[in-house]
Amino acid sequence: MSASGTTDLLAVINTQAPFATSHGKDALDLALIFGSYEQPVSLFFIGDGVFQLINHCDGARLSIKDYCKTFPALSFYDIENLYICEDSAKARGLQPDNFIDDAQLVSNAVFKAQLSKHKFVLTF
Amino acid sequence: MSVYTLVVTTPPHQNNTATALEFAQATLAAGHTINGIFFYRDGVLNASKLTAMPSDELQAISAFVKLNEDHQVPLHLCITAGEKRGLTDDQQTMNIHSAFTVSGLGEMVELSTNADKVIQL
Repeated sequence: MSASGTTDLLAVINTQAPFATSHGKDALDLALIFGSYEQPVSLFFIGDGVFQLINHCDGARLSIKDYCKTFPALSFYDIENLYICEDSAKARGLQPDNFIDDAQLVSNAVFKAQLSKHKFVLTF
Repeated sequence: MSVYTLVVTTPPHQNNTATALEFAQATLAAGHTINGIFFYRDGVLNASKLTAMPSDELQAISAFVKLNEDHQVPLHLCITAGEKRGLTDDQQTMNIHSAFTVSGLGEMVELSTNADKVIQL
């Protein structure tokens, strides 16, 4: 993309709740590979995707690999930016303290501004 | 002219796959380059030799193979996603079409860092 101001390579947008489908895990696997190749990647959570960042969730109780446990450890992979759409959280009755500490609740304007800093977007 | 990477995450029987094919054909016709199509999630099913679509429906797999044969567009398959869905590159039971290259997500990094645009349909 030739748009000016793009500094980071990849934005991954998560739109689905965890566990019912494998969208979230596949998105995370992709982000981790970009991180391990030292390519700047940020994660965005909107719609039901915000449920992926709820604290104290336990996928193991569903006999599913609990990939959500990786989110608080993403800084080890140099993935620092986790953005939650504040409106999506509010619409689902979720409060700031329902989410893991590493994620930032942001307004639509900030969400959009951060997204536009990325060269490419993949949506899951 | 730009270099494109395409990401296909939908199986051969879904309309988004038809759109991806049309996008690829239009991109090449306009004189752009596609440095590779990366198949991920259910998109890997486009590489199966065993899929049989009714003759009056879109033949997505042969259309991708044609892109590879006519325009040398590399078709990269995420083998981890493939193995979860019954695809194998084991010599005895190989069921991945030979036009596809068995790859991993690292190839997706490689393609996108060398592309002007990355398009997912």
